[in-house]
Amino acid sequence: MTDPLDEARDKARRLRADIRSFHERVMPDDLKRKSHLHQVLGKDDYVRWMRLLNDQGWAIGHWPKEHGGQGWSLLERFTFEDELARLGCPWVIPFGVKYVGPVIYAFGSEAQKRRFLPRIATTEDFWAQGYSEPGAGSDLAALRTEAIRGEANEGDHYVVNGQKVWTTYAQWADWLFCLVKTARGEQAQKSISFVLIDMKSPGVTVKPIPTMDGYVHVNEVWLENVRVPAENLVGAEGEGWTYAKYLLKNERTAGALLGMACHALERLKALARENPSASPERTAGRIGELELRLLALEVASYQAVESMMRGTDHGGEASLIKLRGTELYQDIAEAAIDLLGLAGVAWDPAALHAASAPPLGPEDAGGIVKDHFYNRAATIFGGASEIQRNIVAKGVLGL
Amino acid sequence: MNMDLETAGMLRDSASRYAADNYGFLQRHAVLTDPAGYSAKAWRDYAELGWLALRLPEAHGGLDADPLAVGALMEVVGSRLLMEPILASALIATGLLRSQGSAAQQAAWLPQLADGSVKLAFADAEPAGSSPCQVRAGRISGRKIAVLHGDIADRLIVSAADADHGGERRLFLVDARSDELEALRYRLVDGRGAANLHFAGVPAERLDPEDGTPAQAAVADVLDHATVASCAEALGIVRALVATTCEYLKIRKQFGRAIGTNQALQHRAVDMFLLQEEIAALTRAAQAALLLPVAERARIVSGAKAYVCTAARKVANEAVQMHGGLGITEELDVSHYFRRLMVNAALFGSRDEHFARFLAATTHSTPEGIPA
Ligand SMILES: Cc1cc2nc3c(=O)[nH]c(=O)nc-3n(C[C@H](O)[C@H](O)[C@H](O)COP(=O)(O)OP(=O)(O)OC[C@H]3O[C@@H](n4cnc5c(N)ncnc54)[C@H](O)[C@@H]3O)c2cc1C
Repeated sequence: MTDPLDEARDKARRLRADIRSFHERVMPDDLKRKSHLHQVLGKDDYVRWMRLLNDQGWAIGHWPKEHGGQGWSLLERFTFEDELARLGCPWVIPFGVKYVGPVIYAFGSEAQKRRFLPRIATTEDFWAQGYSEPGAGSDLAALRTEAIRGEANEGDHYVVNGQKVWTTYAQWADWLFCLVKTARGEQAQKSISFVLIDMKSPGVTVKPIPTMDGYVHVNEVWLENVRVPAENLVGAEGEGWTYAKYLLKNERTAGALLGMACHALERLKALARENPSASPERTAGRIGELELRLLALEVASYQAVESMMRGTDHGGEASLIKLRGTELYQDIAEAAIDLLGLAGVAWDPAALHAASAPPLGPEDAGGIVKDHFYNRAATIFGGASEIQRNIVAKGVLGL
Repeated sequence: MNMDLETAGMLRDSASRYAADNYGFLQRHAVLTDPAGYSAKAWRDYAELGWLALRLPEAHGGLDADPLAVGALMEVVGSRLLMEPILASALIATGLLRSQGSAAQQAAWLPQLADGSVKLAFADAEPAGSSPCQVRAGRISGRKIAVLHGDIADRLIVSAADADHGGERRLFLVDARSDELEALRYRLVDGRGAANLHFAGVPAERLDPEDGTPAQAAVADVLDHATVASCAEALGIVRALVATTCEYLKIRKQFGRAIGTNQALQHRAVDMFLLQEEIAALTRAAQAALLLPVAERARIVSGAKAYVCTAARKVANEAVQMHGGLGITEELDVSHYFRRLMVNAALFGSRDEHFARFLAATTHSTPEGIPA
């Protein structure tokens, strides 16, 4: 009996092997080193990384062939993210290739596809995601940024006013894909539209929000009378919510979480060998529990992916992967901080830029601390854990 | 022996008032971003308020404060995240000097500690695999790591093997500005300063206790006091986190209502509160236990620290989570409390070390041995 998924499994296996050999043979040593030590990567590093992936045909491997992708199955796509993260590779910046690209090829005009897709594939344009606002976090539909259709005699355009917040890497972005309100008073979801904003437009101001890891990942983006050509509206007015939900589906099936947890656990085990603990039994037990949770996550994730491919999913799979993956990853990071002891609280931000060695402990001590801080946000962004549980309670359990 | 509730209460009130007026979040921010890493003005104020003389004997003009009073101050230190070396200098180093200094040494140094003109740090932890610190012909050699406030201390109390006297482990007083001392100064994740020290034949004055108390016993005693003080600091932090989180649950609206109206969050807020109450109870018990001999107090002191570390971390994680994106930012106090707890958990014995000591004491203690 042949399983219709056999072919996808075969391809995913080959992809995994290709990624390993890419990591061994192609990935430049400096990038590998930075990433293994969890040092801070700059825009140049990320652009280089994304282009390297694109050279392998992987940055947009999940896009359909007609748009230059490889038409990966969900399994290949998941495997790709999982394996890269397992190897400790840099983050695959999702805003262009994973988020806005698919929205554009699914709902955008021909002109938008021609204009944006090739530059997304090559990271010629760096994208950011402008959804959240001060009053609209978990309750995204409460967003208030307004796009008002301008006077026809000045050319067909919108005037956008409002404030976005938590915009990751807005400081590097050329473009912002943005949810805005194009109608007042109507049912919230029906008044939201999806527009593409050139970050160089007059009236766009980016203000950094420093986080506790001493770095700037997120920003406020102020939009004051920003003129956006009407041709930058994606799809139809009032349909933005539908597109955003389509995008969220892409955001949540994240294989990277599994791979990152796996990578971090390997490092944790090495740390346990390097640093004799005051309670070796407790440490061993703790690591064993984490290993067990990882096993459950791994098996459940791949089965979830396959049931999504078969169409037998219950709809809660993405939430399961996100909840278990982020919580496990956070717990592994905590255990690592504990094992590092004093080295886990000594802090020289310069060491994260490879300008010096950390004051104490192994070379990657600073990176482990930085990741521990940043990853407290993993249960907050991309649908906070509480919201994920609400989704499962309502959508799967019918509560 | 009973502890003095009145002194503790007065100290708590005056310290809270002072900190509310002088150490608000923005005022603290100025200290945090100052290259010195502490406020010289605040330090002088503390001297004037008598905090630096808290642990001094009455004979030296001190308050000879009991653990309850020390705890009252430390709760305020935690609730406002004071950056100055109260724990390192006024409690630990002062305690060591009191126990290990000769009459002459005490007369020379205690007044300067009380008026704040000298800040002391205690250099004890050594890097794994390096040869232990040693004093030979009155000069000290070796390395120390993660010396809390070692970056700004004027003098250091250093533990080392005394090769001039049979290799016994003793405490020595060292000038922190000595030429033979090389320091790598850095900040801990909570912004307080620390240093790794390399002694290359630094002149060292041996502390010579009149009653011959072994240094090891004095260090164990003082570190127990420090452990309990850091539990009180954690209590101050946790109270602040619980209060600020509950406030946020009431004012932050999503989906048209305060997020605190969701039972899922209400129950977790209750759990945070329960942890706070347990931390308070254990801290109080550990303070009482400090009046017992070292062997009898080990179980409760180390048990308190081990429990408090885990409980306070849970509270901090929840506080960050319930603040959403704001929780991880530099601009909100929540992330600063989070980081301070992280440092406190690693200093003066890790959670695992205290847990191991708790277990050992538990297995060996009879039920009668449990302090009431
Ligand atoms: C590091 C980081 C990067 C980010 N990057 C981006 C980005 O690039 N683009 C972008 O648009 N956004 C981004 N975000 C924003 C992120 O999506 C929001 O932080 C998230 O949606 C939560 O919103 P909030 O922060 O306003 O928290 P709130 O929604 O105010 O939530 C506060 C707390 O209340 C809980 N809560 C809310 N409602 C309920 C409920 N009904 N029941 C139970 N609990 C509830 C939440 O789970 C949370 O714990 C980022 C955030 C972070 C921290």
